[in-house]
Amino acid sequence: MPAMPDPKKPRPPFAPWDRRELPGAFSVEETARRVGNYKWVEMRLFEALGGWVATVPELDVKMRLGTHCYKHAWHSELWHKRLPELREMNPDRLTLPANDAMVEFMEALTAPEGEDKTLEKLVGVYRVLIPHKIAAYTYHLNNTSTITDAPTIRSLKLALNDEFEDWRDGEMLIQSLIENEEDVRRAADRQAELEAIMVRAGGIAGPGSIGTEEIPETVEAKA
Amino acid sequence: MKRHLTVDDLARDRRFVRINMEERMSDPRNVGGPGAYGRDAAEQADDGGRSGRRGLGRMVPDAPNAPDAARSLMHGIFVGEIQALEGAGRTCYDFDLGDNPDQVPYGLKLDMARQCWDEARHCEISVKLTEWMGTEIGEFAESPFLFQAACNPDALLRLAGVNRALEGLAIDVFNTMRDFGDKAGDPVLEFCEDWMLADEVTHVKMGSDWLRKLTVNDPERRARALEFQSVVDKLFSLGGGRSDEEDSPIRLARRFRQMAGFTDQEIDEIAEVSRQARDEAENRVAARRAAMAAAGSSSGSAQ
Repeated sequence: MPAMPDPKKPRPPFAPWDRRELPGAFSVEETARRVGNYKWVEMRLFEALGGWVATVPELDVKMRLGTHCYKHAWHSELWHKRLPELREMNPDRLTLPANDAMVEFMEALTAPEGEDKTLEKLVGVYRVLIPHKIAAYTYHLNNTSTITDAPTIRSLKLALNDEFEDWRDGEMLIQSLIENEEDVRRAADRQAELEAIMVRAGGIAGPGSIGTEEIPETVEAKA
Repeated sequence: MKRHLTVDDLARDRRFVRINMEERMSDPRNVGGPGAYGRDAAEQADDGGRSGRRGLGRMVPDAPNAPDAARSLMHGIFVGEIQALEGAGRTCYDFDLGDNPDQVPYGLKLDMARQCWDEARHCEISVKLTEWMGTEIGEFAESPFLFQAACNPDALLRLAGVNRALEGLAIDVFNTMRDFGDKAGDPVLEFCEDWMLADEVTHVKMGSDWLRKLTVNDPERRARALEFQSVVDKLFSLGGGRSDEEDSPIRLARRFRQMAGFTDQEIDEIAEVSRQARDEAENRVAARRAAMAAAGSSSGSAQ
């Protein structure tokens, strides 16, 4: 008879391929602050997408906005449910914009409403806001503790998967709407207008959204 | 972006042709008699169109006009889905969060966003089904009645009018179309209608749940919402064509309505409202025919 495997043989607590580490860049409080900012942005976005559905005459765009509306509502719900797990028992208290510039950004983003403004609507969402969301979520994913903050990581990965898909959908819609040089200029002007506000906001979670650090320019300065 | 749009604000491409309710109701294809959509052959042969029965007629595959009736209904479903998508989207945007009557809870907005996704899928399904059934966008006119119910400034009345009344009607219509697909040997139609029916039950249940939750301590508001729902139910009972009667063109889907949170009493009330609408429609047609006959005999005696 072949020997039975020994069920009591000691095994390492982490398999050799499991390289997760304890250290992370964010405290519980900082994570909750960021998650509250994310929820605020996702809410403003799904409301705007839902509101725009009736205002765009292009049938394919109308249907895409309806689909994307739900995805961002679901992201907001993920963050809403994460907040109490981060010791914020009243999620509304941290459901806040990162700063005044972020409020200004969302107001500018949602300003176009005429049926001739589909390009402006889409550029704001898919060439400015969603790329900034992808950046902030990726920075968070890559810098949080892979052991202690696993629930946030899971939500970030689920959200990022949607963001990449929606960004691609939106970018392709934009490309299909741009038919001449005037359209190119309209799209570029709109992007520049909103990017300027986003720079002042410092990203969707404020300065440090993508972890910019001050690097000393010289060895002497560092010393 | 402003809040609270009107029907005139809805954006469409140039294929769409919009008509109002009066124009829709006076379309001779929707009135009983020879040439009316979908009346079955026996019914037309029996009375030669003289019965005065108003409405679409029973949806049976062997009726001479059944293909046109089904295509017309499918196109109507398609534009209804667009408006349902737009209405749910606007409810995400038009209200602040809160517990006051002019505000909505966060959970309600999440449900409306979910409905946006479902309705967007229904638009995709419907546009493919219209092609499958041999029609195309714009072949039939669009009547914006669903969005009109979604323009109510009270979110709860929107849910009563759209989710409970009109999505409830959608349950009945999809159930009818699913059966029609089965009888006509069209598995694609039957398959799609069955899936959309599942979503509609979910949407009606959302309306039922929020209606009860938001008015648990406000019976007056609940009464207003139910009254609005009843008005919409009567208006869109298709002149009594949607009813509990065995021979009605669109039968009340009792089992699915129960799943969606309707009580038996509520379903009975809808059946009664439909019966009243049918009686009123028949009386109108009879009066019109009597007037025409009287006008004919008086012009004959003048000669």
